Amino acid sequence: MADNGLSCSLKASYQDFNLDVSFSVKSGELACIIGPSGCGKSTTLQLIAGLLPLNTGQLVLNGRDIAHTSVHERQIAMVFQDYALFPHMSVEQNIAYPLKIRKVGRVKRKEKITRLLSMVALEGYQKRKSQELSGGERQRVALARALASEPKLLLLDEPLSALDAKLRKHLREEIRRIHDETGITTLYVTHDQEEALSIADRIIVMHEGRVMQEGTGEQIYNEPANIFVATFMGEGNTLPYSIIPKTLVNTGGVTPFVFKPKEGKHTIFFRPEEVLVQDNKNLPLAEYLVHLQFKQAEVVSCEFQGDHYRLVCNWEGYSIISHCSHRPQARTVTLGVRIKHIREYVDGESVKKTLLPSVGE
Amino acid sequence: MREDKNLQYKRFYRVMPLPSAMVLLLLFFVPLFFTLSSAFFTEQGFSFSRIAGVFTDPYTQRIMLFTLLQATLSTLASLLVALPGAYLIATYSFRGKRLILALSAIPFVIPSILVVLGFVIFFGNNGFLNRILMALFELEEPPLSILYSFPAIILAHTFYNFPIIMSLVSSYWEHMDGNCETASYTLGATKAKTFFSITLPRLLPAIISAASLVFLFCFNSFAIILVLGGGPQYTTMEVEIYRQARMLGQSGSAAALSLFSILVTSILLLWYNSTQKRLARSETYRNSNRLNEKKPATLFGKLLALLYTVASFLFILGPIASVVVRSFMASSSRSSAETFSLKWYRQLLSLERATGHMNSALQALSNSLLIALLVALCTVPLALTLSAAIRRKEKKGSMLELFGMLPMTVSSVIIGLGYYLISAKIRGGLLTSYSLVVLAHMVIAIPFVLRTILPEYRKIPDSYIHSSLTLGAGPLRTFLLIELPLLRGAMFTGAIFAFALSMGEFNATLTLANSSIVTLPIVMYRLIGSYNFQGACALGTILIAVCAIVFIVSELAKGGNHGR
Repeated sequence: MADNGLSCSLKASYQDFNLDVSFSVKSGELACIIGPSGCGKSTTLQLIAGLLPLNTGQLVLNGRDIAHTSVHERQIAMVFQDYALFPHMSVEQNIAYPLKIRKVGRVKRKEKITRLLSMVALEGYQKRKSQELSGGERQRVALARALASEPKLLLLDEPLSALDAKLRKHLREEIRRIHDETGITTLYVTHDQEEALSIADRIIVMHEGRVMQEGTGEQIYNEPANIFVATFMGEGNTLPYSIIPKTLVNTGGVTPFVFKPKEGKHTIFFRPEEVLVQDNKNLPLAEYLVHLQFKQAEVVSCEFQGDHYRLVCNWEGYSIISHCSHRPQARTVTLGVRIKHIREYVDGESVKKTLLPSVGE
Repeated sequence: MREDKNLQYKRFYRVMPLPSAMVLLLLFFVPLFFTLSSAFFTEQGFSFSRIAGVFTDPYTQRIMLFTLLQATLSTLASLLVALPGAYLIATYSFRGKRLILALSAIPFVIPSILVVLGFVIFFGNNGFLNRILMALFELEEPPLSILYSFPAIILAHTFYNFPIIMSLVSSYWEHMDGNCETASYTLGATKAKTFFSITLPRLLPAIISAASLVFLFCFNSFAIILVLGGGPQYTTMEVEIYRQARMLGQSGSAAALSLFSILVTSILLLWYNSTQKRLARSETYRNSNRLNEKKPATLFGKLLALLYTVASFLFILGPIASVVVRSFMASSSRSSAETFSLKWYRQLLSLERATGHMNSALQALSNSLLIALLVALCTVPLALTLSAAIRRKEKKGSMLELFGMLPMTVSSVIIGLGYYLISAKIRGGLLTSYSLVVLAHMVIAIPFVLRTILPEYRKIPDSYIHSSLTLGAGPLRTFLLIELPLLRGAMFTGAIFAFALSMGEFNATLTLANSSIVTLPIVMYRLIGSYNFQGACALGTILIAVCAIVFIVSELAKGGNHGR
């Protein structure tokens, strides 16, 4: 049997939007689907689970075509946002539910429940009712119940969104640990970038029913394929291409860039942590390092974030966000960003660099 | 279209309501069809002559007008009594308030024939109120003589319906955000000005909604008018339909009259529905304003609260209590005074030789219990499967919901008429007649049971069902293991509802039944008709006891439910 995970290509149209996505999740991998609300990530999950009808497309799990299999025969378990613990059953009965369906004997059932509960760190919770559990505990029980069905694929639909920030961090570590212990192929939906970056082997960014980019966290963050991914995954500065002649620090007569005014809207993008901030006029950047320099940037706000200051500056009508280690004393600062940290986009799509790095880099 | 297997669980819910929809179709539309066809078909074939004849006849025109008049007056009277009570309950906390609210549920649940009986026993010439007044003021003659008159009808309707308005309006009032009033005071408005320009307009949707419900009830009122109206002078549509069909043998004109009644009822129901929707939109619902409650400040306020409490007790509980008390009284000889006696119960249980209609009382009791049990057992699965389909929120859902509520558009007398016309066609034995009674009761009970189960069903999140499916349980297993257990409480309450409705059902039963059919309310009616009030009271007491037991059990069951 080819144990090669999930591969799907889903097409569906609804009243207000069309969904057209294709991606794959390797066996034993934890993949995240991330996107703003309404991007179709939950719909994708429901299509895979079989809760929504799939009219066109393919759905192959471990080499088996499941596009037209009924929900309860797909061997895909799902953890819901509201946990969906059955309120008329105890914790034990909830976890026993899929085991009974699979006709696991009484003794084995007890064993397995004990094992699962200890895996989710809820030893001795067998007799509790779901109403007596806290949000985090319900989440764990829901996870244990889903694992009890020994699914080929585990779907998690924003499993942590109803919990407070501290618990969320703790539980996502737990989910990762449990995933590593069980090695179960997992597809995890979230709208939280930090969550996706920290938990996932691979991230699938969705927007308006389409996959915008697929890749590891580093790839997504450092090499966003388009402006949407760039601005959705973390903060960033987007400026028009036309500011380059004004700001470029050109050294030693080397033509550092080839200006190719193509069709379409050219933009440049860089992250706040790549911006250097200087109170005085001179940046601590060597002249030979080609960079953009924004002089006389007016400080609009400066927020203390604990390990850094988040600075919002206004430079000739453009807003530029930067992170710096100290609070600037003057009302105006000079900002600089190196060419190698700048990404270019034409009509929102990433293009090959037209800005050439200077000699020596 | 290709059958897609992954839609299987949806198909399950689509197929499930079909049997019950079929049953409902048969139970409701077949009798209605019989009724309407006899309105349009004469011996000469299809014609409007019957309809035209009925609508142009000055006699029936007078009845239609009278029906509307009495309903209007009854509604106004109920408003007059209920609104001060609603005000007191919503704004003050005082002793007896909880009790008033609890008592106000009584008219909802007690059968109309009991109301009639209680009214006669309490307000009648020889009734408790007159006896008390005569004893107090040493009068020779009973001071109140209101029975069998127009005021009697209005009074009985008021007694029967004012608690509905009181509890609906007061609960709306209580949950209304009091900050608007406070804002008005800070803007310099006086109390009276604030009440008339802020509070009253905000309350109006609730008042209108409650009043239209009461108007509907009064329009379709039957038992009260039949007994208390006391003759053709005070006849309403419903009574006239019954009279034409069963006393004059004119089922054709009865059917034509039904058409008018159905029309008005449908309009009223549509109107009521729209007021309900407006109500849901108009105010943001606050959970509770209990903190704002205060004790009546002035002596006048205290007196008012006390007076209202006492009066409510007297009027709600008085008639019911009188029925119970009277059932234990009998005079040993013709001239002697009445003393405590179990005579009527001995007669009822056939321990003592009974005369007149009392000899069928035991039979009636067991019949009623059996019928009610059957109705409860059959109605709940029907309503359950219907609501399972309605819940799916698809377009068909709301159509189906409307469909399930359809029997409400037709008064129970007309349902009875339909079944009477069927029974005239098939001429079955006694068993057939009783089956028809069960079927008619089911039609009447379904909308109520549906209204009990559906809201609970809607509370079950989709994710429960989806969870179960993704855990490997098929649609049927999911329905049996997840949905059914979660609905146990609602199903039980629905069954109780159906049982109580059937126990007290009088209108349809009287209209369709021949003389050999006996149920508790029918025998009570016959006893009242032959002036054997104590006998009727004994039966009434048993009816009260059955209803009370059933509702206490249902309250206990509610307490044991899972709080979700």
